[in-house]
Amino acid sequence: MGGFVSRGFKRRRADGGDAKRLPPGQYAEPGFPVLTAGPTPRVDLKEWRLKVEGLVAKPREWTWEEVQALPRSVFEGDIHCVTRWSKLGTSFAGVSVDTLLEAVEPRPEASHVVAFCYGGYTTNLPLEDLTGGKAWVVWEHEGQPLPAEHGGPARLLVPHLYFWKSAKWLSGLRLLDHDAPGFWESLGYHNHGDPWREERYWGD
Amino acid sequence: MGRLSWRLGKVAEIRQETPRTVTIALDVPGWEGHHPGQHVDVRLTAEDGYQAERAYSIASAPAGERVELTVERLEDGEVSPYLAGELRKGDQLELRGPVGGYFVWEPDRGGPLLLVAGGSGVVPLMAMLRWRATSGSQVPARLLYSSRTLEDVIYHEELDRLAAAGDGLTVAHVLTRAQPPGWTGYARRIDAVMLEEVGWRPGERPLAYVCGPTRLVEVVAGHLVALGHDPTRVRTERFGPTGVP
Amino acid sequence: MDETDLRLDGNALAGMLADLLGFEMTVERGGCAGCGAVNQLGALLVYAHGMGAVACCPSCGQHLLRIARGEGRWWLDLRGLAWLQLDEQARMAG
Repeated sequence: MGGFVSRGFKRRRADGGDAKRLPPGQYAEPGFPVLTAGPTPRVDLKEWRLKVEGLVAKPREWTWEEVQALPRSVFEGDIHCVTRWSKLGTSFAGVSVDTLLEAVEPRPEASHVVAFCYGGYTTNLPLEDLTGGKAWVVWEHEGQPLPAEHGGPARLLVPHLYFWKSAKWLSGLRLLDHDAPGFWESLGYHNHGDPWREERYWGD
Repeated sequence: MGRLSWRLGKVAEIRQETPRTVTIALDVPGWEGHHPGQHVDVRLTAEDGYQAERAYSIASAPAGERVELTVERLEDGEVSPYLAGELRKGDQLELRGPVGGYFVWEPDRGGPLLLVAGGSGVVPLMAMLRWRATSGSQVPARLLYSSRTLEDVIYHEELDRLAAAGDGLTVAHVLTRAQPPGWTGYARRIDAVMLEEVGWRPGERPLAYVCGPTRLVEVVAGHLVALGHDPTRVRTERFGPTGVP
Repeated sequence: MDETDLRLDGNALAGMLADLLGFEMTVERGGCAGCGAVNQLGALLVYAHGMGAVACCPSCGQHLLRIARGEGRWWLDLRGLAWLQLDEQARMAG
């Protein structure tokens, strides 16, 4: 991509972070860049609901108070954005998706999930990427309420995949028996998004 | 008009404008000219192949193969500290353009002209004023220019000269953070009252160009429309989050 | 800072679109498939970052253009545009 090299130009933060913790092609970023593809939805907590629906025996909606009362679960670790920054050693708190799924009882034919959000964003995942302690719905980041620009009131957190799968402004999860590509997945990004296999784009 | 893809310009000169801004004068072989208000995309490539791209408004009026960019160095920026810190005369810079025909003013579009700038948002508006002067246009023009402090005012002396030329340009400054003793200009964020005092009446149907940090641009554009200006005659160029003047 | 600060105009996509489509796109007009509003693309509200960009109708907020940028590839979703007008005068020189 172009042969010209700008004399003396280096990427802003080339160092820092344990190289073993960085997936291929990533660099350690101490900050937390805001990437947004639309206006921040403003959600009144009184109106906010978290829904888990679709191929489940007991579809359920939680209010803000109800979801806060669920067993608290904390993630401490690293997150990886497809735009190549990784934030190492961060923490989020909320509820494990396992807890939510236990309550709704997924049907045996449920194989995939679409996460849908206030503002219209969607992303898709195989159900198994959301179970076994791999995913959360979180409303705290590093001890503070999750800011709106980072997906507050609550976002999905799936840290083992590229961070576009950790859908901001989460409204709910819909369980399906088929895969349904979401916003970026329909626009050339990889359907699965495993940073350790560098699954960034279609065909990777 | 303009080249589709990336090409190289050579840095002919770098001038410090304010403590935080520099003007980079480039000679771009084959440059076919540009329209005041347009910008270029600048691309930097590191040795490891890493690339960063940003858009910069062209500050100069069209003049052969000379293209000037005025760049504000942002504290946590990635490209601006390189352009306004590392870049030297003789270096080459990869750019694409000129583009951005939407945010263009030339004298044949008429007026009266209202230009509102926040911080480095003055850059494309300066290209318009420079071209206006060079082409001897008498289209009445008013610039309302908001900066943090006096030393942050870009092109201050040149604006004073242009305003003193008696060809129908007035310049009103706003200093939002600190004002020198005896300051008679505005000393508060741009609001509807100020726009009404400085700007044209809606009945005069001005062409308005508003440029700077997104927040300022949206507030100003909102006020102009609320004051009765035709929204189709208000053009905006949001710079994103470049700090609040 | 919040996302308000990050909002841009259609102008922000001018270079990329000129490169891809060969026209000075910000002056070209398009019709919103959602509400029918006609705007020059320079007037659209743009949210852009490293993954790509969306350009929204200033009247109804619908995504008129979605662009994803990969390495050496771009994906364009123009479903939000009912139509797009291109003028010979706005064609970019090679």
